[in-house]
Amino acid sequence: MSAAELTPSEAARWAARAGLPLPAERHAAAAATANHIHSVVAVLRELDFGDTPPAPAYRAGEEQHDAAV
Amino acid sequence: MRPYELSLTAAADAIRTGRLSPVELVDSVLDRVERLEPQLNAYATVTAERARRAAREAADDVAAGRLRGPLHGIPMGLKDLIDVAGVATTASSRVRADHRAQADSTVAARLSASGAVLIGKTHTHEFAYGLTTPQTHNAWDTGRVAGGSSGGSAVAVAAGTAVFTLGTDTGGSIRVPAALNGVVGLKPTYGLVPRHGVTSLSWSLDHVGPLTRTVEDQALVLAVLAGHDPRDPASLAVPARDHRPGAAEDLTGLRVGVPRNYYFERVDTEVEAAVRRAVDGLEALGARLVEVEIPMTRYIQATQWGLMVPEATAYHERTLRAAPELYQADVRTLLEAGELMPAGDYLRAQRSRTLMRREWARMLEDVDVIAAPTVPATAVKADQETITWPDGTVEAVSDAYVRLSAPANLTGVPSLSVPVGHDTAGLPIGMQLLGRPLGESVLLRVGHAYERTRPAREPATAA
Repeated sequence: MSAAELTPSEAARWAARAGLPLPAERHAAAAATANHIHSVVAVLRELDFGDTPPAPAYRAGEEQHDAAV
Repeated sequence: MRPYELSLTAAADAIRTGRLSPVELVDSVLDRVERLEPQLNAYATVTAERARRAAREAADDVAAGRLRGPLHGIPMGLKDLIDVAGVATTASSRVRADHRAQADSTVAARLSASGAVLIGKTHTHEFAYGLTTPQTHNAWDTGRVAGGSSGGSAVAVAAGTAVFTLGTDTGGSIRVPAALNGVVGLKPTYGLVPRHGVTSLSWSLDHVGPLTRTVEDQALVLAVLAGHDPRDPASLAVPARDHRPGAAEDLTGLRVGVPRNYYFERVDTEVEAAVRRAVDGLEALGARLVEVEIPMTRYIQATQWGLMVPEATAYHERTLRAAPELYQADVRTLLEAGELMPAGDYLRAQRSRTLMRREWARMLEDVDVIAAPTVPATAVKADQETITWPDGTVEAVSDAYVRLSAPANLTGVPSLSVPVGHDTAGLPIGMQLLGRPLGESVLLRVGHAYERTRPAREPATAA
């Protein structure tokens, strides 16, 4: 297990902080799935975003605007 | 040909010219429902009495010369995330056991106004959070998955228990089951079809669209669904368009992008062969094939998950606390784990979407459409959880099914899945056509031109 991974008890604590008390029998499954999701999304840290703003949703027609900038 | 076998276009023509009554058509489809539902389980609710009543009214209107349009008297199903006043929207979940929709969703209201007849609400993977729809069975082989999450909608159209249906698509949920059941599925441009009154999985990725037997049918449904509704903040104010493809099969001058990376990697050999044959067919119709490089492929799954996981968890915040035991195990675990994702991951995914959208816009300057497989494999057996590829990698079935369809959700571009044949086990294969934003007409033109070179498709044979 890498240092970035959550243990079942850490997952339970994080969930409690988020306002979701998890019963003990849920801790291991929540930690395993959260760790898997983390391993997938963590690759986004490789990207150098510079000044790139977030796109909260897609808007058709913005491409032309982007291309003109 | 029995009425339930007709395409929407053919049924509409028969009703318009008085050769078929809406009552005959609805009765034929309801008989088919009664016969096949025990094996398929495509419907969460069948509204037979309501449908028969609506059919009689539609027939009276025809007799009085009041034809509302091509959907008049056409039996259809709505994915059970789409509100219809007075009917439960169960989302195929025990969480919604006591639900009753107070009002029509925008799309249900528009279909009702166009004269379409609701046959029932079709099953979804619970709250659309999955790619298999386990309670529903594939229309071609009941031992195999329907695909999802709009599994019931695809199976109903394939089996002739609806003439058309609506589905929703957050990562591929219209196109995946369309491909696995041999029907046509369209994920329109983000914002083209309003989502007011449709249960959300992930607001920034959700779309509503039609599943039909033919490409031509798609245009008839899309014309009714599209159009601005301020109650959906993503809804686009674009002028109404006629998306009906013309009769011409000639694609001379059209540039078809063929991906040199990503879309043909870890794809079943029979799927790849069928899609490449179909692409050659487009070339034979006059199109010019252009190799394209798909940008930022390493970040597709990360961006999809970074957006969908926290948005889905946010939507379910209250019920996950009030009644977590009512969710299926797979969905509950995903929703709980979503509570543990930091905001930084969500923002990185949103910034990645900005970059991806720009790169795709650049790529789509060089081609008119991109042709690719919809899913990398045909329908797997119901109990199969992973796919092992020839390079030794093992992939979860849901990850494989969503892999090729998710880019259109991230970038918002329209994507049409068209059947392009069957594998040696007799299971359908789908080709995906991706276009520029609001380029639905081009997709339908290309899909229709291809379809006209193929023999007419028969209803599915499983049941």
